[in-house]
Amino acid sequence: MKSTPRRMGVLATVSVAALALTACSGGGGDSTDGATTGTLNFYTDKAAWEPDFDTLSETSSGDVDIELNTTGYSDANQYDAFIRQSFRTNKSPGLFSWHTGSSLKELVDENLVAETTDIWTKAIDDGYVSEDLKKYYTIDGKQYCVPMNIAYWIMYYNKAIFDENGLDKPTTWEELMDDAATLKANGVTPFYQTSVLFTFPWFQQLVAGTDPELYNGLSTGEVKYTDPRIVDIMNVWLDQQKQGWFSDAGSTTDPAVMLKQGDMAMINFGSFFGASLDAAGMTQGTDYDFFVIPAVDASVTPNPVAVETGPLCTAENSPQRDLGMAFAEWWMSPEAQTAWSDARGDVPFNPKATVANESLSELGTSVATDDQLVERYFEATPTPILTVALEQFGAFNANPGDPLPFLQKIQDAADAYWADQN
Amino acid sequence: MSRRDSTSYQWSARGFIAPGVILVAVLLYAPLLWTTYLSFTEYNGLGDPDWVGLANYGAMFADPEFFGSLGNTLLWVAGTLIVPVGLGLGLALLTFDLKGGIWLRLPFLIPYAISGIGVGLIWSFILQSDGALDQALALVGVVDPPRWLLDAPLNTVVMILASAWQGVGVNALLFTIGLQSIPKEPLEAARLDGARGARLFGSILWPMLRPLTAVVIGLSIVASLKTFDIVQGMTKGGPGRASETLALTMYKDTFVNSDYGLGSAIAVFLTIVTLVASVLYLRQQLSKKNEI
Repeated sequence: MKSTPRRMGVLATVSVAALALTACSGGGGDSTDGATTGTLNFYTDKAAWEPDFDTLSETSSGDVDIELNTTGYSDANQYDAFIRQSFRTNKSPGLFSWHTGSSLKELVDENLVAETTDIWTKAIDDGYVSEDLKKYYTIDGKQYCVPMNIAYWIMYYNKAIFDENGLDKPTTWEELMDDAATLKANGVTPFYQTSVLFTFPWFQQLVAGTDPELYNGLSTGEVKYTDPRIVDIMNVWLDQQKQGWFSDAGSTTDPAVMLKQGDMAMINFGSFFGASLDAAGMTQGTDYDFFVIPAVDASVTPNPVAVETGPLCTAENSPQRDLGMAFAEWWMSPEAQTAWSDARGDVPFNPKATVANESLSELGTSVATDDQLVERYFEATPTPILTVALEQFGAFNANPGDPLPFLQKIQDAADAYWADQN
Repeated sequence: MSRRDSTSYQWSARGFIAPGVILVAVLLYAPLLWTTYLSFTEYNGLGDPDWVGLANYGAMFADPEFFGSLGNTLLWVAGTLIVPVGLGLGLALLTFDLKGGIWLRLPFLIPYAISGIGVGLIWSFILQSDGALDQALALVGVVDPPRWLLDAPLNTVVMILASAWQGVGVNALLFTIGLQSIPKEPLEAARLDGARGARLFGSILWPMLRPLTAVVIGLSIVASLKTFDIVQGMTKGGPGRASETLALTMYKDTFVNSDYGLGSAIAVFLTIVTLVASVLYLRQQLSKKNEI
């Protein structure tokens, strides 16, 4: 048996090679080509919402016999990289959450997502979704994906603090500014801010509330960040910073906990934030409430409200393409949106859905009838510009000073991006 | 052993080595080559990469923020050598000859069991505005403490100290092993000649520790050049990009901006710097071994 060691060596090599090949082959065992019922693999970067999707899955199982198998990522960047790489495999997802704006266009340009024009046409005809929302999902005249959620960026406030200081919901910008001044004079920090990620809401509010056209011009490259009108707006922000109206940008405490503790009285956030406040132990109407932020310039009508909407998409080459499209069609229905609103405690995009939370229901109705929607800065801004802008607003929040150097850095990124597009 | 047995033995040896070689080639060298290729392309992670030659390297060196990251990375290298390596050596010297010295080193070793991102979270809790340290300082009357994580280069300095908190113990352990491996005879002879303290350290301990010091410092240089997790956990490179390191810049360009070409160029640059620094340093240090 002199050759045994040699045989064992060869065996070891072959075994490893076989294992590697098996791992690379992907298997494709969960392929459900053509099926419109069954278990749909769903990937999302909203890991915290996984229990809500599981709850929703019970309704979809009963309604259209589609059960969601949800995989939630908690790191958005890691998730984006995973989805991008999945298109190279035979595991591209039947359903995945994504972003509107330039991120969606990138996928469409490569023919990677399934077209949903028929689903949108039918849903609009049935009155399941507003025509307004369609533009965020339209690229070159066709629709892609369906809206996973819709959120309005409003102001949440600590009700006890407002009551103690004799304040009520402001209905004009001047009233909001007076409230902030009163709070500061009484030793309460009026507004929340941070130096990481969510650094843009106040900029978004100030620019859109001053001039929605100017705000929209930033996202198309027609307006420069160094435009004197933008500089003036930043100086308003700087004045407010100097007056101490914002919480410490260096705090990493959960903003919901900060609002509960009274570290600040108000926070500008998406209408999904109520779920975080509920989780922090606050009750809407008793401990906290919210209001639509009035326009900076009272002559701007209707009142601009930033809207955030994230898509649910199906990969064009997914083995679960038909299943994903069947789910997307059901997702537009009032039944699906009612179940979603119940699970998440958020505003549904379908006006025919039932909303258990009366305040959210009123918000959805009032925004639809009284206000004009502007796209949230996060989605409206192309990613390479957004990355620099978030950093610069964060730096400005941490060390407020002459706004021009901050704006110049954002404009440099914008110049590079738009030059590459032309 | 006959010639035939020897050949057979060598064949089986190659067979056993082959799986490891294949795995290293597939999991290490293939990605390295792919990354190098990507660094010459424009690629957003979708479709096919477009060849752009040296454009990514040009863009990298034209960006002033890149040099900010490079500066912070070099600060990490210097800080890591001074603080955790220096303190580790000090701790090892103070405890290696003591009865029960292991019990003095043990508390310093425990943080090494925590992941870098965990260390970042712990120290972020301590150093954030109105965090644990600020509250402790307020108790002793300091009402306006430094803004630990908001001002540069203070934020990088405190992160180096946080990193040292984790790294001192393992450096001390390595130096202790080195000290214990020094033969007793020259030490006793030196002591009989009256060598104590700095004289004993400078003339006997330090030269005999050199091979191990070279390895510890070499590892520290490599680790500090690729600093990522603790910065990501504490400041995410901010405010703005004030505390960003090269590894963080690479991550942001690749996975936040989806500019895989530029991210790969930074990765290649970082790899070259790390390799050159390691090879030059180790070659220089280890060649001195023969001079002792």
